[in-house]
Amino acid sequence: MTAKSNAEVTKELFVPAYLSDTESEKISGKSVSAWKDALRRFLTNKGAMLSMIILTVIILLALIGPHIFGYDIDNQDVSRANLPPKIEGLTWLPAFSGYENGVDIYKEKNISKNYWFGTDQFGRDLWTRTWKGTQISLIIALIATLADVLIGVVYGGVSGYFGGAVDNALQRILEVIAGIPSLVWIILLILIMQPGLITITIAILATSWLSMARIVRGEMLKLKNQEFVLASRTLGAGDGRIIFKHLIPNSLGMIIINTMFSVPNAIFFEAFLSFIGLGIRQPQASLGSLINDGYQMLQIHPYQTLYPGIIISLLLICFNIMGDGLRDAFDPKLRR
Amino acid sequence: MIRYILKRVGYMIVTFYVVITLTFLAMKMLPGTPFKFANRLSPEQLNQLKHYYGLDQPIPIQYLHYLWNFIHGNLGGSFQYGMQPVTEFLFQRFPISLQLGFESMIFGTVLGIFLGIVSGIYRGRFLDWGTVTLAVVFISIPSFIFAAILQYFFSVQIRIFPVIGWSGPMTHVLPVVSIGVGVMATIARFMRTEMVEVLNQDYIVTAQAKGLSTNAVIFRHAIRNAMIPIVTVIGPLTSAVVTGSLVIENIFAIPGIGSQFVDAIVTNDYPMIMGTTELYAGLFIVTILIVDVLYGVIDPRIRVSGGKSI
Amino acid sequence: MNHLLEIKDLNVIFHIFGADVQAVRGISLQLNKGETLAIVGESGSGKSVTSKAVMGLIPNPPGEIATGEILFEGRDLVKYSKKQMQKVRGKEISMIFQDPMTALNPTMKIGKQIMEGLIKHQSLSKHDAKKRAIELLQLVGIPNPEKRVDEYPHQFSGGMRQRVVIAIALACNPKILIADEPTTALDVTIQAQILDLMRDLQEKTGTAIILITHDLGVVANLAQRVAVMYGGKIVETGTLDEIFYNPKHPYTWGLLSSMPKLHAKTDKLLAIPGTPPDLSNPPKGCPFAPRCPHAMKVCTEHMPAYTELSATQKAACWLLDERAPKVDPPTTIGVGGES
Ligand SMILES: Nc1ncnc2c1ncn2[C@@H]1O[C@H](COP(=O)(O)OP(=O)(O)OP(=O)(O)O)[C@@H](O)[C@H]1O
Ligand code: SF4
Ligand SMILES: [Mg+2]
Repeated sequence: MTAKSNAEVTKELFVPAYLSDTESEKISGKSVSAWKDALRRFLTNKGAMLSMIILTVIILLALIGPHIFGYDIDNQDVSRANLPPKIEGLTWLPAFSGYENGVDIYKEKNISKNYWFGTDQFGRDLWTRTWKGTQISLIIALIATLADVLIGVVYGGVSGYFGGAVDNALQRILEVIAGIPSLVWIILLILIMQPGLITITIAILATSWLSMARIVRGEMLKLKNQEFVLASRTLGAGDGRIIFKHLIPNSLGMIIINTMFSVPNAIFFEAFLSFIGLGIRQPQASLGSLINDGYQMLQIHPYQTLYPGIIISLLLICFNIMGDGLRDAFDPKLRR
Repeated sequence: MIRYILKRVGYMIVTFYVVITLTFLAMKMLPGTPFKFANRLSPEQLNQLKHYYGLDQPIPIQYLHYLWNFIHGNLGGSFQYGMQPVTEFLFQRFPISLQLGFESMIFGTVLGIFLGIVSGIYRGRFLDWGTVTLAVVFISIPSFIFAAILQYFFSVQIRIFPVIGWSGPMTHVLPVVSIGVGVMATIARFMRTEMVEVLNQDYIVTAQAKGLSTNAVIFRHAIRNAMIPIVTVIGPLTSAVVTGSLVIENIFAIPGIGSQFVDAIVTNDYPMIMGTTELYAGLFIVTILIVDVLYGVIDPRIRVSGGKSI
Repeated sequence: MNHLLEIKDLNVIFHIFGADVQAVRGISLQLNKGETLAIVGESGSGKSVTSKAVMGLIPNPPGEIATGEILFEGRDLVKYSKKQMQKVRGKEISMIFQDPMTALNPTMKIGKQIMEGLIKHQSLSKHDAKKRAIELLQLVGIPNPEKRVDEYPHQFSGGMRQRVVIAIALACNPKILIADEPTTALDVTIQAQILDLMRDLQEKTGTAIILITHDLGVVANLAQRVAVMYGGKIVETGTLDEIFYNPKHPYTWGLLSSMPKLHAKTDKLLAIPGTPPDLSNPPKGCPFAPRCPHAMKVCTEHMPAYTELSATQKAACWLLDERAPKVDPPTTIGVGGES
């Protein structure tokens, strides 16, 4: 005992101190719920937050962008073909100067209007087309993902929850489907149906639910024998109630993470199919078909590929980073 | 182990049978085919076609007919190329695609493993952060965009590499890199996760407690264990490489089956599409089988217990 | 002052999520040649961190030894370089771990895992190292060692694996063996066998053992001296008899009374109500105060200092202050008679 502490310690302090339960709990640390904890981790992830902001901006532009200049997606006018991007006020930036190879194309063609992303070989405004195309990518991502979640969750849920023969049969089917590369499925489906938005969506759907089904099944198997489920069953809860009240809410983390990863997958496949000419048909545009159109001009007018390329890359990168962020947030084992 | 392999082979055959049947059904469901393009074919070719598909017979017979042909390596003739056998094209072009695939796979795997190991060891430091960020970017950017960027800068602007073609080593660089960076990024991420996980294992502490040097711990104990599961991503990666090669072969005008496939799709050359589809499916299925067996061979836990743990 | 190992005022901190977890807070201990010191205390009290600090195996980041000395034969291991420390580990001080199922490299043959240390520290040739590995396997009671050196860990049962882990630890005749819960993961009959083996080997080799455990039965079986840890501190230390028959700290009382019966080996014996303190924000007074049935006002305000009770026993508790009310140890302490 040091002399110093001895001075502060007076006799009166040697009386019993009863700590109430709440106090002793306070001392031993508060428990944050798993969801709150995950949300907190997600919100402090700088990369994920930045991605979220970029995505929000892209989505907003996809909504309002096509209406800014009042052009249609198919407003052709050869007199203004192949104009490089020009934005008044940003002309000091080479990328938006309206110059190509040192020549002011706008002056040459005597055009006073600005085309922010330039125009294509038919004189269509690429700003309008690019954001329209972004809409398509986002719509496909949305539909594919929604349906993916529904099919995958139901399939995996049924398989994992009922187990036994049902599980066995469903798993064998799944194994065969997964044994074929998704590209092959998609191309077969597209051949049967006419290329277009719906076909692409169905084709992407046909394969993307597999991983969701697997994950949900795994979660079900893990959860269904846990105490709270057994307790609920003893209380007479039916299968449906147990699945929707207990099992799915508890697998929600995994479901959200997996959804986050299937979104970029859907966007990629649409772009890929459109790029090889199996996707959206003219005059409709998607980011993939715009890149394909622009690609023909890559050597002369690289800007025609540049903006759709940047936007789709940003979409994919941001969705992937958000997926990573969510996974890390829900699965602290992998954090740091 | 043997029993396990046999079981896998069984699944493989079933899966492949399903693919063949599905391609047949797809063929039957095609709007108006194959006579939709009859105008492009000569009368003998039409007859040949009719005979090949047994079109005058009911569908079940046609199906058996098709299976019979398939087993005998007869995939029909290409519409585009005057009914020349599809198999001939596949034989001619597949080796090129295989080479492109292998080169990309090796490029990506070697670099990816290296990056993953370094990143896992220096977890949380700048090097790790850089690798992880780079990996997300490379996983996300589609290979055709990457190819366009490479082509624009290295072929159009500074002209180091030829724009297109597949003749000398220089022509391989851009296509292989375009496909390979995705592989690299995927493997680097996977390897990093494995490495981090392995470095947290108790047996690493045991190894350190023996007084081994850091290098010995990492090389003898960590890397080997972290690398074993890499085998499992090779299946999905094969599928990604095939997808990538479709566009990359087209962009760089490489005479593989990928570019042929895209041509066939665009020109509705159905026999060619079917044949290529079946080849891809077969390739994928065999890869998965090899990966499974390989995993059993290199991981003693599975090897000795006879594959029970799978 | 001729201790084999002497820890002086050791502080270990983990920096995680902006918080500093003070896992070990000012520990001092001594270990003499050939003796067995037990460290007991419930989960999270800092037992493993202490032993890892001795081994120089605190993962950094996030952990670091903030202050303190670890004197091994008079030399301070804290100041050792990485290289110097590698020469100590496995040769002078070695360690066995709680879970034999995960402590061995699954893809390396048992023999090779034993040989590694021998090759490194004793510069044996591969051939000699293998011969020695077989001897060691024999020594730890593995039948048919010539054949089993070439097998993989998963071909061994849990108890057998723990024997292998012990063989690895003893390979270079270390002066100190740290056993971190060596029997917790094993079932009861195997536990007894492993403990017997450790006692046997200690008699043969004269190695000093630091035994970390939750299980007071194991302590009674093996140890000569005991240190009781709570909240990153040693709250009481003494000889086996002093701790079992004349404990002075309320936490030690709690430990002893929650032990059902000396030889009934069970993991779930620490049934003291409440949870251990949050070490990222440790209380400024006695760490046990929130759970202590005898807590006084002074306990929450001021850290109790050690009171020397004998040449070998001391405890940190305000009850030992002359101003404190007299409190008798509970009668439930289940030691009497037996042992
Ligand atoms: N690598 C680490 N990173 C962060 N904190 C750690 C780490 N290792 C230990 N700690 C912290 O140190 C404290 C003491 O842990 P320690 O492992 O020493 O407990 P223990 O007494 O061995 O418990 P058990 O009986 O469960 O093994 C714990 O609160 C833990 O949170
Ligand atoms: S110091 Fe106070 S709270 Fe701590 S053990 Fe002693 S009596 Fe209990
Ligand atoms: Mg421990």
